[in-house]
Amino acid sequence: MAFMGFLKQRRAKAPSRKIKQDLGILVFENTSEVIRAESVLKTDGWKVRVMGPPPEIHTGCDLVIEFPLIEELNILRVLKEADVSPLQVVPVTSPLLQPVNLFQARDFGRYLMVRAANMKLTVDKDTQTIVNVSGGGCPDVPYLAQEMVGKSLAEAASPGEIGHTLCGYALQLAYEEMERQCSPS
Amino acid sequence: MSHFVDARGLSCPQPVLMTLDEMKKQDKGDIEVLVDTDTSKENVSRAAESQKWQVKNVQEDGKGYRILIGKD
Repeated sequence: MAFMGFLKQRRAKAPSRKIKQDLGILVFENTSEVIRAESVLKTDGWKVRVMGPPPEIHTGCDLVIEFPLIEELNILRVLKEADVSPLQVVPVTSPLLQPVNLFQARDFGRYLMVRAANMKLTVDKDTQTIVNVSGGGCPDVPYLAQEMVGKSLAEAASPGEIGHTLCGYALQLAYEEMERQCSPS
Repeated sequence: MSHFVDARGLSCPQPVLMTLDEMKKQDKGDIEVLVDTDTSKENVSRAAESQKWQVKNVQEDGKGYRILIGKD
């Protein structure tokens, strides 16, 4: 009897190896606020990610910020101090509330295209030369394309530094994802 | 004699990639590229110039453009 009691106790104490960190989503009114909030939080040292909104979320803009739920109060305080509070804070409690990956990659054989939000970046895989930049409708897209096409990933200017709009931001995400996909594993 | 790339109806970045492939195949001479959007016209022209090909002519052609690029 004592042995059975010991077994039950042991089973009860054994932690699940599959527990994921609880996550939440911050929903903002527009993409500019998402960008500002991400910058504020990362500068403050928080590990957050910009993602696409989950299917169940219909308010706000096309980007959300995923954050560790346990830090909700601290994160909201930082955002309030920076005057960029979210419209909604949603815990991820079901698969339908999982934020979606922002990136799509398409392999054209010799070329790789990465799309982030509304911007596409295409690279020659052999030479890592940027062969195309397109998408968006922001006024700085032709300038970004002019500065980046024909240059290698390593030598091209970072679009986040030379761009001025939300398209520049989305292109920066595509650029970082492309660097990650093209880097030797 | 021009070589020909028909990229009408194709979405970005395929017009650029088809043009780049043809430029690699030919290495020099003239290539005529057909596209049907302003974006593709800009992207193809830019890609050609980045590879040191010259955009010799851009003509409206129906609802799209006929782009003549060349390299000596």
